[in-house]
Amino acid sequence: MNREQNSSVLHCEGLRKRFGEIEAVRGVSFEIAPGESYGLLGPNGAGKTTTISIVAGLLEADAGEVTVAGNRLTTKSVAAKAAIGFVPQDLAIYPDLTARENLSFFVKLYGLRGKANRARVKEVLEIIGLSERADDQAKKYSGGMKRRLNIGIGLLHSPKLLILDEPTVGVDPQSRNAILESVEQLSGQGMAVLYTTHYMEEAERLCDRVGIIDRGELKAEGTREELVALLGEHDKVHLTGSGHLEAAAKACAEIDAVEAASVGQESIELLVEGASAILPEILTTASSAGVTVHSVEMEEPNLEAVFLHLTGRALRD
Amino acid sequence: MKVLAIVKTELTRTFRWRANIFFLLIMPMGLILLLGVAFGNSATRIGVVEKEKGQLASQLVATLGNQPGLDTKSYDNLGSLERAVERGYVSAGLVLGSNYDQRLQAGKAVTIRYFARPDSTAPQIRVALESSVAAQGSALVAARIVHSEQGRSFKSALRRVNAVKATAPVGVSLLAAGGGKYPTGGGQFQQSASTQLLLFAFLSALNGAVWLIETRRLGVARRMLSTPSSSREIMLGIVLGRWVITLLQAAMIVFFSWLIFSVHWGDPFGTGAIILVFSLVAVGAGVLIGSLCSSAQQAGPIAMIVGLVFAAIGGSMEPLQYFPATMRKIAHITPHAWANDAFGTLLSNGGNLANVWLDVVVLGAYAAVLLTLATWRLRRVLTT
Repeated sequence: MNREQNSSVLHCEGLRKRFGEIEAVRGVSFEIAPGESYGLLGPNGAGKTTTISIVAGLLEADAGEVTVAGNRLTTKSVAAKAAIGFVPQDLAIYPDLTARENLSFFVKLYGLRGKANRARVKEVLEIIGLSERADDQAKKYSGGMKRRLNIGIGLLHSPKLLILDEPTVGVDPQSRNAILESVEQLSGQGMAVLYTTHYMEEAERLCDRVGIIDRGELKAEGTREELVALLGEHDKVHLTGSGHLEAAAKACAEIDAVEAASVGQESIELLVEGASAILPEILTTASSAGVTVHSVEMEEPNLEAVFLHLTGRALRD
Repeated sequence: MKVLAIVKTELTRTFRWRANIFFLLIMPMGLILLLGVAFGNSATRIGVVEKEKGQLASQLVATLGNQPGLDTKSYDNLGSLERAVERGYVSAGLVLGSNYDQRLQAGKAVTIRYFARPDSTAPQIRVALESSVAAQGSALVAARIVHSEQGRSFKSALRRVNAVKATAPVGVSLLAAGGGKYPTGGGQFQQSASTQLLLFAFLSALNGAVWLIETRRLGVARRMLSTPSSSREIMLGIVLGRWVITLLQAAMIVFFSWLIFSVHWGDPFGTGAIILVFSLVAVGAGVLIGSLCSSAQQAGPIAMIVGLVFAAIGGSMEPLQYFPATMRKIAHITPHAWANDAFGTLLSNGGNLANVWLDVVVLGAYAAVLLTLATWRLRRVLTT
C-alpha cells in the first residue's frame, strides 16, 4: 500500500464486473480523501450502481481492489464495512417499523450497544429532522421523510465514508433541497462522501471532484474547473425547434467547429469551438435539414457539456 | 447481539400485523375443534327402551354402558328410539321387553330387539351387546344351579353369584403398547390437536418465505450485508427469527388446547423434541422457498400448496391409521408423517423420548438438509 492509499479513505483500483455478456464496470479507478465529496456522474446504465455496490462490499468485483480506511474490502470483510455508511438508491427501510425502531435495528447491526446506541439514534433522529415523528410507522411518512430515514440509517455509526446512490431520485424539490443541504453539512464535518447522480446540478453543487462515467468506464475525473478546462474554447449551443431534428444534428456535426451534437426533446445540443463566429452557419445548416428553429441559447461550458464532449451524447440520453 | 436484533425485529413485525394472531392461533384452534368432532374417538351411544325397569334389565344396560367407548341413553318408547337411530342421534337401539326380568327368573328365554344404523359401528356394538348378554347369561345359569342345589331363593342365589363374580381372579386392563398407562385425557381432541399443530406450524413457517421475499424486496436484507455483520450472522438471525415465531405458535397451540380441550401432550421431553426439530424442518423449507422464488405472489401460493399437500399426505388432515398400507408408506416421504407417528406414540400410547428417537433423528436429517440448502441459496441470492 503506497502513501497515497494511506491518506485516502477510499481507494479503488482497476475495478471490473461482468454480468453475462455485459461488462458493467471496466477498469474503474478513483480515490477519495477524508472530508472530500466525490461525485460519480453518468446517465442511467453507466455503471454507477454496480461500482457503488462493489465499493459498499455488496458485490464481489471480477478484478480490481477496493481499500476503505486502510482495510481491503470484499463482501466478507467486516472491518472495512465498519467504516462505510451505505444509502441505497431504493428505500431500504421496514415500512411497518417506526423510524426509531428502524434506526435501533440498524445501529445494533453496526455494533453500537446500550446507552451509546440510544443516544446515537436520538442524535440521528435530530439530524434527519424526524424526532417529532420518531414513533410513527415509516409507511405513514411522506416520500421525503422516508428518504431522510433512508439516509439516517447510513449515518448511524458516524462512518468515515458515506456512500449515497442517487438519493434524490423521485423526490419532490423541497425534500431534494433538504437532502442536498444535509450532504453538504456532513461533508463539511469531515466525512468523505461518494455520491452518484445523473443530475449535473447536484454534482456541481455538492462535489469537490467529479468522475464522469459512461458505459462502465471512468472517462475523466477532477474538479469542475479541471473538467470544464478539458473543453478548451468550446461553448454549448442549445437550439430548440421542430422538424427533422435528427437530420439537422447530423448535418451540424459535420461542420468543422462542431465537436459533438445530440438530439433532445424538441432540441439539439451542440458543442462548438468559437460559437459566436460559427452560429450563422449552424442556423443555415439546421434550416436546410428541415428544422424550424424557435430559439438559440449559448451557455457557459458545464459538466453536461463535458459529458457531451467526452462521450458524444447528452447526460440524459 | 446482532443475531438477536434480527430475531427481535422479525417478532415485532410479525405480531404488529394483527391478522397474524388469527392465522397463528385462532384458526388452528378452530380446526382442532372441527377435526376433533369429525375424527375424534368419542363414545358410541346406544339408545335403550326398558319397558319394565326390572333389576336384570337395568343390570344389562349398566354392563353395556360400562363397556369401553360405549354410552347408553334411555328412551320412553320404541317410536322415539327408532327416530333417534334414523337421525343419527344414537348409533343403535336396544329394546328390553316388559317381561324381561320375569321370564329370566323363571328360566325362560327372552328375545332382545336390536337395530342399528348401517355403518361400521353396528357390528362393534353387536359384539359389545353379545358379550354383555353372555356375561348376564352365565351369571343366571350359575344362580339357577345354586338355587336348585342349595335351596336358596333365585334372587338370593343370583346375589351370591354376582358377589363371587365381582371378585373373579381374571380381569382385563387396557395398557399402552409400550406397557405404560393408557392415556384417557384429551378425548376426541387429542389427535386433532397434534395434527393441527404440525399443519399450522409448517404452514406458518412456509409463509415465512413471503416475509423473506418482502425483506429482500425492500432492500433491507441487502442493506444488512453492507453493515459490519457477517453473512453468517444475518442468515442465523433470519432463520432463528422464523424458528422462534414457529415455536411460539406451537407453544400457544399446546397451551390453549390443554386449557380449552384438556389435551394431554404426554412426555414433555418427547413432545418438546418433536416440536423443536419439526419446526426447524418447516423453517428450512420456508427459507428455501423464500430464496428460490422471486416474488411474494409466486412464493405465497407455492408455500400454501406445499404446506397443504404435505399435511394431507403426512396425516395431518386425516389420521394416518385411516390410510391404506401403501399410502402409509408413501406418507413417510413427508416430515409430517414422522412427526405424526411420534405424536401417536407420545400422546396415545404413553411413550417417551426414548420411544421416538428414530422420528427425532429422521426429522433432524430433514432439517439439516433443508437448512443447508436454504442458507446456501439465500446467501447466493443476496450477494450476486
